[in-house]
Amino acid sequence: MPREQNIRLTVNGKAYERTVPVRLSLADFLRDHLHLTGTHLGCEHGVCGACSVSMNGRSARSCLTLAVQADGAEIVTIEGLRAADGTRDPLQQAFLENFGLQCGYCTPGMLITAIELLRENPQPSEQDVREALSGNICRCTGYQAIVDSVLAVAREARASDKKKKETA
Amino acid sequence: MSDARFVNQKAVGSPVVPSEAIPLVEGDGRFLNDIRLPGMYHVAFLRSQHAHARIRSIDTAKACALPGVIVVLTGRELLGKVEPFRSMPNRFSGGESVQHWLALDKVRFCGEAVCAVVAEDRATAEDAAELIEVDYEPLPVVTDPRSGERDDAPLVHDSCPNNYLIKREYERGNVDEAFRDAHLVVKRQFKIGRKQALCLESRGCVAGYRESTFGLTMWISHQLPYVVRHYLARHLQLAENDIRVVVPHTGGGFGQKASIYPEEFVCAYLALQLRRAVKWVEDRLENMVASTHARDQSIEVAVAVDRDGQILALSSDVWVDVGAYSTYLWSAGMEPLQTAGLMPGPYKVPAMRYRTRGVATNKTPVGPYRAVGRPSASASLELLLDEVARRLEIDPVELRARNLIPVEAMPYRNANNLVHDNVNYLPCLKLAAAKVQYERLRAEQRQNGVDGKLRGIGVACYAELTGLGTSTAVGPGTLLQPGRDAVTLRMETTGVLSIAAALPSQGQRIMTAMRQVACDELGIALDDITCVNNDTAMAPYGFGTFASRTAVFGSGAVIQAAKELRRRILALGAHLLDVPVGDLTIVNSVVQTLDRSKSLPIRDMAEKSYFSAKNIPPELNPGFEVTSFYDPKFGSFAGGAHIAVVEVDAQTGEVTIVRYVAAEDVGTIINPAVVEGQIIGGIAQGIGEALLEELVYDETGQPRTVTLADYLVPSALEIPRIELHHANTPSAALGGFKGCGEGSIIGALGAVACAVADALSRQGGDIHDFPATPERVLKGLGVLAGEA
Amino acid sequence: MKPAWFDYYAPRSLDEALRILADAGANGRVLAGGQSLMPMLNCRLLNPDVLVDINRIDGLNRLDDTQDGLTVGALVRHADLLHDHRVRESWPLLFEATKQVAHPAIRNRGTVCGSIAHNDPAAEHPSVLVTLGGTVVIAGAAGRRELPAEQFFTGILSNALQPGEMVVAVRYPRSPAGTGAGFVEFARRLGDFAIAGAAATLTVRDGVCERARLTIVGMGQGPVRARTAEDALTGRRLGDEGDEAFADAAEKAKAAVEPADDVHASAAYRRHLAGVMAKRALATALARAGAH
Repeated sequence: MPREQNIRLTVNGKAYERTVPVRLSLADFLRDHLHLTGTHLGCEHGVCGACSVSMNGRSARSCLTLAVQADGAEIVTIEGLRAADGTRDPLQQAFLENFGLQCGYCTPGMLITAIELLRENPQPSEQDVREALSGNICRCTGYQAIVDSVLAVAREARASDKKKKETA
Repeated sequence: MSDARFVNQKAVGSPVVPSEAIPLVEGDGRFLNDIRLPGMYHVAFLRSQHAHARIRSIDTAKACALPGVIVVLTGRELLGKVEPFRSMPNRFSGGESVQHWLALDKVRFCGEAVCAVVAEDRATAEDAAELIEVDYEPLPVVTDPRSGERDDAPLVHDSCPNNYLIKREYERGNVDEAFRDAHLVVKRQFKIGRKQALCLESRGCVAGYRESTFGLTMWISHQLPYVVRHYLARHLQLAENDIRVVVPHTGGGFGQKASIYPEEFVCAYLALQLRRAVKWVEDRLENMVASTHARDQSIEVAVAVDRDGQILALSSDVWVDVGAYSTYLWSAGMEPLQTAGLMPGPYKVPAMRYRTRGVATNKTPVGPYRAVGRPSASASLELLLDEVARRLEIDPVELRARNLIPVEAMPYRNANNLVHDNVNYLPCLKLAAAKVQYERLRAEQRQNGVDGKLRGIGVACYAELTGLGTSTAVGPGTLLQPGRDAVTLRMETTGVLSIAAALPSQGQRIMTAMRQVACDELGIALDDITCVNNDTAMAPYGFGTFASRTAVFGSGAVIQAAKELRRRILALGAHLLDVPVGDLTIVNSVVQTLDRSKSLPIRDMAEKSYFSAKNIPPELNPGFEVTSFYDPKFGSFAGGAHIAVVEVDAQTGEVTIVRYVAAEDVGTIINPAVVEGQIIGGIAQGIGEALLEELVYDETGQPRTVTLADYLVPSALEIPRIELHHANTPSAALGGFKGCGEGSIIGALGAVACAVADALSRQGGDIHDFPATPERVLKGLGVLAGEA
Repeated sequence: MKPAWFDYYAPRSLDEALRILADAGANGRVLAGGQSLMPMLNCRLLNPDVLVDINRIDGLNRLDDTQDGLTVGALVRHADLLHDHRVRESWPLLFEATKQVAHPAIRNRGTVCGSIAHNDPAAEHPSVLVTLGGTVVIAGAAGRRELPAEQFFTGILSNALQPGEMVVAVRYPRSPAGTGAGFVEFARRLGDFAIAGAAATLTVRDGVCERARLTIVGMGQGPVRARTAEDALTGRRLGDEGDEAFADAAEKAKAAVEPADDVHASAAYRRHLAGVMAKRALATALARAGAH
């Protein structure tokens, strides 16, 4: 059985075709083969969440996914959150303005998880946010600024929705 | 973006959004594992599975033969080529602990590196490591200090009788008399479990041979680049300026990345031998056993008080399980000396006595981790004070108020020989109590018998000596003593002001902090100021980021250097504008007269100075680069009071923190948002210490907490919203700054530990072993048999 | 922590998957969600020679809710259950237990059948299957068979699969009218493996318990059915809160388990928690039964 296989996948909207060792994780593939080092490895056993990416629209631990399993998949990483013109995702901007990161190592996973939360629950309570993020470990911030960043985005969205309704 | 956040036109005190965070939020950081060099090799270490064993033989033949393997290194190959780490534990003990980079005759802890496998990729290196055959002869193990110090215990180091790596006795004041005459003596025993910093990014290095420089370049996830460079030079017999140490983005440090470890030094050696770049990334399983542990103290402590509850004397006996080697650079003295020596904290202690020991065991070596011995020391005294409060029927906050060193008494020399000054212990306690509505909380607690939940209130006050100058040792017997760091300010050819310091950041935003200070000192716009803080090739000597010192040292050195740089800028400006020096100021990167009639942008002055110097008198163009060393001489005390309210589920033993108020004195604040983040981050780690985190070993020295499913750190659900308040007073250091990185973890362990004990005391229960796991809580309540 | 080498197959049909599994024998492993398997491979705690990735096989991700019950195919993810309104409305025990599984990213990939086949003693799904009287549908070279849950779980991390067999679905029968269910678990942090937990259903008519099911989680060997507790509850009149009956059931549950000591909890603590969890699960089940 060959130790390498060919895979085709889309990452951050761009199509790739590569030959990879079958035992290579998706995380290592993104980082070492595509040079997308924004996804981080904190434990390689699925607990810390720093490696989280979006796979076919859902968050996934890239350290627990083989690259060969991503054949045909659509992956979004932290590098793919910015718009084509370079504008940051509102959540990234909120993290910056609310000091939602210190060392930045957990940030990729936090962003991916928070984006999924806000998509499913655009107006989460603080408890909702903490619960959704409970699978992403941060050792620096004590979580408060991260939670505030997510709530700030929800608040902004609510305000701009309200404005839209008023001007409609 | 930066200017919009200025408060009162001043950068210092404003929550400036740090530009260094931008790449991190965009996924464009450069952490150690992101570094890739052409032809780079990868290292994996074979580690001991035995806690204590003689190495009879090592057969690397099969490993070497695996395709993709370059070389396998053992301790034998290094013998005579490199000097092992020799740590004189301390002047208080005679034994030396020698740590070979790769185990030579013996392994002394599970996880000790035995072989280094170099291969074309990490997975192959790990494959090869599995093929190495080591013949071990197991030896009897030492797994706890109390039995380890006995005469009949096996020795971890033949050179250290009774396994003492450090032992000290200290006495000041008439302790015996105080205990004899006391109105009340309370004596307790506490056990604080073993911890580790658990940086989300574990250790790692890329040792580059003739990469970026002609010598050795070491990219290393570390807090002290100049210290690494110093030891590389010494141990590898290289000239210091043939070595460049660069710290990439670092995912947490907390002191764990401030020790000198064998693995990175092995990589440097390999890079020089193989003439190739060599990379090692510590994976999480390795990190659990290969990077320093912390705490693990057994504390017997007694306090003598008068009838008003005022402390007359403090006496403690401390045993610390310091693991198999005296950590290189710091020595085994850190935890033992600080736990005992700093126990008085912010309280008036007229007389004290202690006996403290760092006992070697067959476990991972213990090194510095955020606040070192202070959280455990503080928690012990706070728990003791609560017991005093109960017995004398004095309210716990009132009792602490009576004992805190008041501002009026400062400067105050405590029995541990530390002089407290410029710090607001009592105002912080009053502020915390007011904000939490303490009286009401206690009243509610008295009335309540809530559905199986016990409510507890815990108060802890801390003193934290930050920014230590040369007159205060980090620890006697430590190989290097910090105390003076330098900063270079330079006006660049484009007029940008650059700051260079060897004070790398792990998220504390040191670059932005120094930029904020420079902005106010020089009048140069924040956006025109840049900072490099992670590269020995670009920065003057600095000890590094450690012991809550960068705000004091970085800022103080900037202030000093800025004074001289400003003088030079104004002198040249006066000449170029043909006005008296006294008429000039610098505002927003423009040298201008006070009446703004004449002006010269710094950018233009720089161009003239560098490229059109012909008509400038040489004495006015000495160069616009100033390096200044700063030594604050003493330390700057920070302080605070934390109040935690917990609910204990008396059926499961689960502890929930329902309210947390912290009032802190962290001196003049440079960036309030950064400070808030540091304080809350420290509280989160303290909560982890109090309730969740513990490294467990079995009686054969095998670690049982080996993954993140075993070693539990708090998630977003375990940390409540922290209500943070300030009662700041400036320090005596330049700028009035204080460090704030470590104080809050001290307050948090104390406050939560006391809150749990307070909850249990409602039902006559007690707890003295921490973390306060649910099982220990139930034992403390008598629901489960056994000691808590 | 990179895994050792293995041969990797991603067959497109079940027959092909079974053939490869049969050839691989004891050295083959099914890769579905991978949330339990990959950590073990990364840590080199497990080094299978062959991985059979079943994610490309059509038809394995069916989630069918019919008169007979709920059928959950091998590729149904935990998250799929949580997003399905039928599960939320009609299968409360399953829904509640699934909410406790790990964290969103793990639930997005991890599968129900994978969790059941893995049979970690602290996992949620095995106990739910037992409590609801479910069955495991197994396919192998010799054909299909269906085993009652309690025969499938044979011990810690063990199941009744023969070499070359795999789980293709699990089935949950409907509970009788008037049944309420409760799932509670105690873990150090949300999403951690349970130190102890309980799954309970109570079928109540006119204040009398007609049928009781109680399974204890986290004791060390796999889901433990507390039969003596169930028997004691059956036919008993349950007061408004069932306090006395549940206290008695809890004691019997505690006596039924043989908990293990590990780094997270002692046997004594586990046994104590078994009682606490049993009481709480039963109380929830009673409240919900009353709501019908």
